[in-house]
Amino acid sequence: MTTEPGRPVPAGPRAAPAALAAAGRRLLDGARSLAARRSIRGAAATGVLLLLAFAGTGWDFRRVAPPSTEVSVTPAPKPASREAARLLAERQRLEVALRRKVPRGSWIVIDQTHNRLRLMKGDDVVLEAPCSAGSGMVLKEGSGGRVWVFDTPRGRFEVLSKLANPVWRKPDWAFVEEGEPIPKDPGDRLEYGSLGEYALYFGNGYMIHGTLYERLLGRPVSHGCIRLGRDPLREVYRQAPVGTPVYIY
Amino acid sequence: MRARPLLLVPLAALVAALAATAPAASPKADDPETARLRGQVERLRRERDLASGRTFYLRLDAGQGRLALTLQGVALDDYRTESVEWGVPEVLFVDRAPGADWDAAAFSKGRLEPERERDRVEVVAPAPAPPGAAAAGPAPAETPSPSPPPVPKSAEELYSVPSPYRVVFAEGVSLEVRAKGHGGRNRSLFQRLADALGLRLSDLGTALGLGAKERVRLRVTLEAEDAASLYRSLPPDVGLVVVGLPSR
Repeated sequence: MTTEPGRPVPAGPRAAPAALAAAGRRLLDGARSLAARRSIRGAAATGVLLLLAFAGTGWDFRRVAPPSTEVSVTPAPKPASREAARLLAERQRLEVALRRKVPRGSWIVIDQTHNRLRLMKGDDVVLEAPCSAGSGMVLKEGSGGRVWVFDTPRGRFEVLSKLANPVWRKPDWAFVEEGEPIPKDPGDRLEYGSLGEYALYFGNGYMIHGTLYERLLGRPVSHGCIRLGRDPLREVYRQAPVGTPVYIY
Repeated sequence: MRARPLLLVPLAALVAALAATAPAASPKADDPETARLRGQVERLRRERDLASGRTFYLRLDAGQGRLALTLQGVALDDYRTESVEWGVPEVLFVDRAPGADWDAAAFSKGRLEPERERDRVEVVAPAPAPPGAAAAGPAPAETPSPSPPPVPKSAEELYSVPSPYRVVFAEGVSLEVRAKGHGGRNRSLFQRLADALGLRLSDLGTALGLGAKERVRLRVTLEAEDAASLYRSLPPDVGLVVVGLPSR
């Protein structure tokens, strides 16, 4: 039995159990400290493994090499087989069919998010101008319960008709929005001058037309039609015949 | 001598029956050139089918470095890509092969992630004035003039654009768009931190096969302005066709 130096040794019959208890405590302390050291090491190792797993799990990207800018002057090799020749012809046919999808004459592209209109001719941009597309506003009728959403439709359309000095036949929502009663006489629906000098109708009540509010061009403020400034509208009216494709996205 | 033609008839019938029941000869494997042409023709057929439909689609030409928003074969908006990358999920540094048929179908129903949210202004119409009310001329204090509806915000004011963002397609392919330079600076620091954390966790999840199955991710880097423009104007349920991607 050993005792720590400087510590009083208990005398009598109680001395032996007390020493044993002290030794037990020391053993326990040692074991705890060892376990603590091991657990720290274990936690560190687990952490490193988890970090590695975290770093090594995800997405592995490889860059696609840019195309070679060198121009090959050697003639295309002859197809190796009859099947290769057939596939080559099929490829050329499909490429031509896809190229033909681009209109040859005038066509109109409208970006309704950024409120820009482009008039194209083949691959060339003839004109680019700010416009106003649908506001996206929702109008709710108080009593009738009708709801209108002022969106511009997306997709491919065609100019179906063209009008100079168009007259607007106001729909119900135009009266509801103003808090006015809906007229019974159709003549009371007509409004002169508010659509500008020209209108190009492309179906379902939608038109490209002029506006009294040119300062708002470039912002989505319309009820779904495309509003255009006076000068670009004149140009579009002049260059886009009936049948001109209109692409709206 | 006459027996010979009689014997030939059942012999011919036997040969014909054997020929009919014999398994079809396995098609000869394509030489590399034919295989390449076959792949190109398949891709063009898919593109033709997309161009015949009414849905918008993105056309990524990895070889030429162009990304175009297209409808019926007509490029409506065309962006130059700074770089194009091709990625697959990896688990513990081991890539998961996407399978040879990963691009066998056209990619469709692309949706933005994070989603582009649109707040619509709702206006309840004022009740129509009863007939003759205007003539009576009510006191101004009783009929406060309705305030005009607010001018809608422009797209730049309306949508803050995260960088990167993804267009996730139904067929297990996604397109990640990164903005070159200071993309995503129009979002607050908190938003950007949340975006980055969300993306990392989402990457971890998809790599481990949790949630939506994603086999291949294409990553393009665009000019910041182009990346923002595409995010703001991308139509819903967009398709994707990829051209000029070398086999990995």
